[in-house]
Formats: sequence, C-alpha cells, structure tokens
Amino acid sequence: MAIEIPKSPEELPTTSPRFVGKNVNRIEDPGLVAGTTEFIDNFSLPGMLHCAILRSPHAHARVVKVNADAAAQLPGVEAVLTGEDIKRWCNPATTSPEGWGTYPMAVDKVLFVGEPVAAVAASSRYVAEDALELIEVEYETLPVVKDAREGLKPDSPVLFEQHESNVIHDRTHIWGDVDKVFAEADHVIQEKFRWNRCGANPMETFGCVCQWDVIQDNLTCHGSYQTPGFIGLGRSASLNLPSNKIKVVSHPHGGSFGGKGGPRGTDIASLLSRKANGKPVKYIEDRMEYLTAGGGQSWDRYYDASIAVKADGTVTGFKVDLLDDQGAGAEGYGTISVAKPLAAFTGCYRIEAAKYSLKLVATNRAPTYPYRGYGPPPHNFVLESLMDKAARSLQIDVAEIRRLNYIRPDQFPYTIPSGNEYDSGNYEAVLDKVLDMADYKKMREEQAKAQAEGRLVGIGVASTVEPGVFDWNAYATVGVPGVGVPEGVKVSIDILGNITVTVGFSLEGQGQYTLAVQIVADYFGVEMDAVRVAYAATDVAPPHFGPGGSRLGVALSGAILGACKKIEEKFRIVAAGLMQCEPEHMELMDGLMRIKGVPGAEMPIAAVAGAMLARSDLLPPGMEPCPEATYVWTAPGRNEPDDQGRCKSYLTAANATHVVLVEVDRDTGFTDILQYFIVDDCGTRLNPSTVEGQLQGGVAQGVGAALYEEYVYSDDAQPLASTFMDYLLPTVSEVPITEKGEVVTPSPFTPLGAKGCGEGAIHTTPAVIVCAINDALSPLGVQVRETPASPNRVWNLIQQAQQ
Amino acid sequence: MATKQEISVTVNGVSYQREVEVRMTLADFLRHELGLGGTHVGCEHGICGACNILIDGKAMRSCLQLAVQVDGAQITTVEGLRNLETGELHPVQQAFIEEHGLQCGFCTPGFMMSTLELLGENPNPSDEEIKHAIGGNLCRCTGYENILRSIRLAATRV
Repeated sequence: MAIEIPKSPEELPTTSPRFVGKNVNRIEDPGLVAGTTEFIDNFSLPGMLHCAILRSPHAHARVVKVNADAAAQLPGVEAVLTGEDIKRWCNPATTSPEGWGTYPMAVDKVLFVGEPVAAVAASSRYVAEDALELIEVEYETLPVVKDAREGLKPDSPVLFEQHESNVIHDRTHIWGDVDKVFAEADHVIQEKFRWNRCGANPMETFGCVCQWDVIQDNLTCHGSYQTPGFIGLGRSASLNLPSNKIKVVSHPHGGSFGGKGGPRGTDIASLLSRKANGKPVKYIEDRMEYLTAGGGQSWDRYYDASIAVKADGTVTGFKVDLLDDQGAGAEGYGTISVAKPLAAFTGCYRIEAAKYSLKLVATNRAPTYPYRGYGPPPHNFVLESLMDKAARSLQIDVAEIRRLNYIRPDQFPYTIPSGNEYDSGNYEAVLDKVLDMADYKKMREEQAKAQAEGRLVGIGVASTVEPGVFDWNAYATVGVPGVGVPEGVKVSIDILGNITVTVGFSLEGQGQYTLAVQIVADYFGVEMDAVRVAYAATDVAPPHFGPGGSRLGVALSGAILGACKKIEEKFRIVAAGLMQCEPEHMELMDGLMRIKGVPGAEMPIAAVAGAMLARSDLLPPGMEPCPEATYVWTAPGRNEPDDQGRCKSYLTAANATHVVLVEVDRDTGFTDILQYFIVDDCGTRLNPSTVEGQLQGGVAQGVGAALYEEYVYSDDAQPLASTFMDYLLPTVSEVPITEKGEVVTPSPFTPLGAKGCGEGAIHTTPAVIVCAINDALSPLGVQVRETPASPNRVWNLIQQAQQ
Repeated sequence: MATKQEISVTVNGVSYQREVEVRMTLADFLRHELGLGGTHVGCEHGICGACNILIDGKAMRSCLQLAVQVDGAQITTVEGLRNLETGELHPVQQAFIEEHGLQCGFCTPGFMMSTLELLGENPNPSDEEIKHAIGGNLCRCTGYENILRSIRLAATRV
C-alpha cells in the first residue's frame, strides 16, 4: 500500500497546526535542567567494574612484550586485557575501502599515540588506573610517518604491511569537459590551501557499559551511541557475534556532532566483561583520551584548486586536487568525508564541469572520524576563497560574482556536475535579504573609512549549499555499499487515547523528540503532553539509523507521518463500521473521525482506539484490534551511482549566505568579529527556535575551526593539543551573536517541505570568516590560505607583508 | 593511596557524614557516592565548567577539588534547585527552557551554577557581566546566544 506523506503543514488533518512550525518548548528540557537525564556515566549495573586503558606513548612502534602480571594481582582488579586476548577474540575494524582497519587494541605494533595496548577492569576507576601503572610494555620504536606528504614518499615507512604503500584511496573524478572549459577560460584562478585537523569535541566524551552474557553468548552495550544500529553491526563484525545477539542501548548523550567515537571503547569494555566472567564493565573516556585518540579528529587536508572564469566573471570549471591525511587507517570512516563533497561539489553555482583528484594517505596521526558537515566545510572554504580571488582579480564585488553564478530559481530541480540533484532554492533572494540586513553598501563605506585610518577591516560574503538527508550512495566512491537509509518509528494509541512514539535513537541535543511530539499532536489533534516518546534498543526498535548527515528531522517526520497515516486508515474502517457508513466517507480532522459533510457525526480518536482494544464485537470482521502502526521511511528516488560516482544522493539542498565584518589587529594578528549576518533557507521550519539553535551552534563550531581549533602534531607525530588548554574551543567571548533571517523555499520532495538544517552554518562560517580576514589583509598584499587563521599565523603574514 | 578520611558536608540542605578516600575528587564523590549525577564531568582539568557547583555560594569546579577539601562546606548542586515542596523548577531552570538555552544539556548544570553565583551577587547584570560570569563555561551546541538570553530572563525573575 503506497502511503501519501503530507508535503506541507497545510496537508495535516488539522484546521490549523498548533505545534508544527511553532516555537514550542522542548520536551527534552525539564530532565536536562533538573539533572535527572540518564547520561551514560549516571548509569550503573549491579557488580559493575570500571575500565581504564593503557595507551601507547609512541606514534609508531613494535610492541615487543606486554607484562600485566603485577596489574592482575592488584586487589580489586578482575580482568586485564592485552593484545593476546584481542587476537583470539576479535577482528580488525571494517573500513571503506576495505583493509585499512586495526584491532581495537594493538596486537603487534602501535600506529598512533594513544592507541590502546592494554586495559584493566577493576572495582573502581581509581584502582583500574593504579593497575595501569603496573603494566610493563616493551616497545621497539619505528620510523614515523608524520603527515600525508611524508606518507606519499617512495621511501616512506608503510603502516599497513599488507598494502604496498600508505595510499588508502587514489582516484580522479571527471565530470563534464573540464579540460575544455579551462582551455577556453579567460582567467584561471588557482591557489593552494591547508586545512589543519579540527574536530567535534562534544562536552560529554564517549562512555559505555558493556555486559557479555557468557552463558548465552549475548552482548549488551549501553552507551552514548549516536547510531546504535550501526554500532551493533560493527560489533558483530569485530567481536564475532551474530548481529541479533548484540543489543545496543543508546543513552542520552552530551552532544556528538559525528565525533563521538566508541567502537574501540565498546570492544574493549565488552571483552573485559567477557574476561571478567560476564560482569558488566563501564568505560568512560576522559578528555585527554578523547583529544589524543578518541573520535574527535577530522579533516587534515592539503588542497590545490582552481576555477575557470570567463571575462564577465562567469565560473565554468572547478578543479580540486586533495591530499587527505586519514591518520592511522580508516576505522573512523574519515574516508567518507572526502566523498561527501560530491553532493554539493560546485556549491551554489552553475559551474558546468569539474574534476576531483583524491589521495587519501595513512599516517601515524590518530585516525580521523566524522565531524558535523562531514567534509564540505573545508571544501567550501576552498571554493569560496577562489570565488573571492576571482572577484578581486576581475574587480567585481564579492557578492555580485556570486549572484552572477547562482543557480537560478527556475532551474530547480538542478543536477550538478558531480551528479546530485538540488531540490529547490532561491539563492538570489537569500543574498538580497542578507545584504539588506547587513546594509552591505554602508558596511563597505565604513570599511573604506576604517582602511583610510590604517585599520585592517574586512567583509566576507559566502554562499553555500547544505546537502541534507544523506544516503549511503553518496559514499559509494570510497566503497560504502547500499542505497537508502531507513528510519522507522512505531506510533501507538492506547485505550485512553494517549499516544506513544517509539524511536530507535536517543537524545543528542537537536530536539528530535520534541519534533516527534509536535507532529503527532497536530496529526491526531491532541495536546503535546498526551504524546510520549519512548526509546527502543536495537533488539526491538524498527529499522533505524539515527541522527547524521542532516537527515533526522526530515526522516523522522516521514516515518511519523507514515505511521500516523496507517493508523488513520485503520480508524477510517473502524469508525465507518461503528457509525454505519463507508470508510471512504470518513475523514480525520482535529482529532475526530467524522463523516464528511455531516456536521456532528463524529467520534474522537480515543473512542476509536478504545473500541479497537475493548469492543472486538463491534469491529468489522477480520479487523486486527491494533491501534498502532510502524512505518519506515527512506528518501524517495535515490539511485545507484554511475562510474564517476554520480547519483541522486542527498535529498535536500538548503542554502545560506553569511555576511561578516571583521577587524584584524595589526599588532597581534587577532581577528575580532564585529558583525555577523545569516540568511538561511532550509525549507519549512518545523520548530523555528530549534533551527536557529542549530545555526548559531554551527556558527560557534565554525568560528572555532576558522580561528582557534587545531590538533597540532610534532614532527614525530606526538599530539601537542591534548587538553582544552591547547585545543581551544570558543567561549562566549569569541562567538558572535548573529543576526538571522530566513527565506522559505519548501522542498517539493520531503515530508512537510522541510530540509536538513543541522550542518549549514559550519559549512559556511569558516569560509566567510577567512574571506573576511583576506579582505582585511588585501591592502597588505597577503592572504590567509591555512586554517585556523590563528593570531600567530595572521601575525606572521602581516610581518611578512611589512618586510 | 587508599587512605580514608571522614568528612561532613551539607549538600542541597542535607547533611552527610562519609568516610572517603583522600584522593577522590569532589565530582566523583557527589556523583558516585551521593548519587547526585546532575553534576557532569566534561574535561576533568578545570577548563569546561560542566562540573561547576556552588561551594559556600561560590561557583567552583568540582573536578579540581578533592572531597576531603570540602569538609564542613555548604554545597549546592543542580539537584538542589528545584522546589521539592511544590515540584516547581527554579526560575533559572525555567528560563533556560523558555529561551532554549540548551541543546544536549550536558554543560547546562554548570552554566546554571555560574548563573546562580552571578545573580546572587549582581541581580541586574549587563551583558558584559554575564559574559564574564560564564566565560569559564564551555558549550559546544548552542553558540551561547540562547544562554545569554536565558540568563537575562532569569535575572528578571530571581
């Protein structure tokens, strides 16, 4: 049976939506502000042990010997895990491409500082850490591959000995006649860029409590899991258990942003539990573990890129040569981060041909993991910087060169050279609105005055497309299989008319439980507090993935609307029987099943549910007494990629333009953000305050990436940023309070017309800030091409200019 | 290492007498010995402020102190904010909900503790004073805008 999902809030069975599209308070919040929400470190099980992990101090070394005898003898210690156990019980991590994963603990050599070499389960974390000090490890150090450039050299040490080199992936995509457009260009604007490692750093690190049932050979993992089903499948592969014997329970987590990590910690805690005869084992990663070896490092890239430009400023081609430092293997799916830009390779622009050459290299830095945006933030920084450079050399205003090249409203749905289809948009309206809000003309006048006084004041304008609602096919180019990302929910109405929505993902911060309640309450005409959201662990949840790739708001809406629609269909049949008419004459409106065109002939949905559950004598023959439904949604129209990776991948294309005014301090190189304006178009805003929260939060992370955050490594691949004193997260003093506006171009393809909106700001903020700094520095004749544009880097550039 | 010492503390108005290992942090004592899990641990090295609590009215890191150091102190944690008789949330908690001053909520108890200290000393703070007061609290989700709004709203109600 095909289910029609409402494409706009107006199609909901309510006279006027009371909750969808409104700034409702979040149902998640009372527990969070009261401190009662069960984050993983607030959870314990009887007899639970505590894990601590001994980690490698070397970036590359052979593990000659591990002696844990003394640790095992320490009172309170119940299990010690070493590489020997791992070899016996475990498999290396699965990766895309295949063959670039290691065991969760080193078995013969370590590939990065912080790689686990042994672990202990003891009566407390304190005792477990005491025990680590008693473990003796003998290392034989090996030459280090400090970065991707070194890793490419013919005489470089090879990290994964089953491969001939450190190159994980080497491929060139060509989309359209790129040689021709470059040959015919009036200008070719070329530049090199360096994006240094930064990453997620949610305020809560990873944690888990794992229990191996040694009698039944079942495993239960409680933890701060962003994608519980995916984690379960991974553990099945790594721990040699059938997937249906692993139950993953996701607890509310203190942020994730893709970079929560977890597989290694889960495998280690699980095997410690197995070794401790089935006692549950808790592992709570500490911040130094997170910063050196958790899932929080991303995007370590060297770019050489160019655009082909006509004399009038029309951009016709875009070439990107990317060298990507994946760190010690591909366990964290950092490879996907280079595939994702295919979903919006050419940004907002009508660029007709493109080329993408990729080299992904294994090094002795920590493995890279996803981070919010999953690849486009550096890519957009490159494209937008080139657009500015073109504007400067052609003497076109930076806003106008973008306008000139935008995809026009009548061109949607629009297929970009790298294959994805953008659903809808009105980029010029977004630009006009933000320029108006910023009073751009006046801003330029003020800038000119400031420059006349010798001040380094600059303006940035950057426009991006945010691909929303990811699909696995977007990552096929690096070996990820599959098309479609099912997300399922169950909606149940009880005998009193109270409603429960069962979902397969936990709280993470985006307000998705609130969204679920908003939609159900409007669909069935009840108050929000009549709807409860229940979390289901992987053993009982419908097919699900959870948050990621700006998908969950749209996917969850689709799943809920599908389930509600299925219940409505059942209610139509039951109510028609009770009211003695034909089902096609019944309709649902404002919580009532009513006979069309007969005022007063109606019954509340609670009565229909009650009849189904308590009056089987009144039901039509054969009617299942079940006022609930499960619906699993996946994006429609996705297809298999062609030989150049082209396919319809991400379902939605949100758009934003940011305008920022900065001042660079000539003496210190410090960048002060003076004004910041955003206009964003993510289609229908289902909960506007949540959308604004996502935007502002993304700006904060973008400010960090642009100006402060960097995982610095020494020449022997020692991490130098292992505390928050070295890895600088922006505080309230660094993050600008942005002025926000909106344009609403609903998606024609999605439930309620909404688009993915969780990553748009971090797609844009680093680009616009660096563009503004470059505008400020342009009188000096120097430009920033490396992130973060830290005071030190900018100061050095200024010195260089003054010599 | 495992030397124990007896301490007496008052937490959220309740007196506790406990024998604790001298090396146990105050955060661990509150969370794991007293079962007050609302104080969250984000970095354990004094930067993030998620573990802020009030010790004798001052917002302080509970990860940077040992439990034995607070012998005799009056402590307030997030669990002590709600009115237990009426069940109502504290105005600061309510303000954070109404102004969407949280997303994942992990850092929120620490922010609220800094807010309480601020408003205790300065009932009508300027934006600069608010920023100064929460300058030692990190939030990775919200971008701080709605936290500022929340504190402004709380100031009108506390």
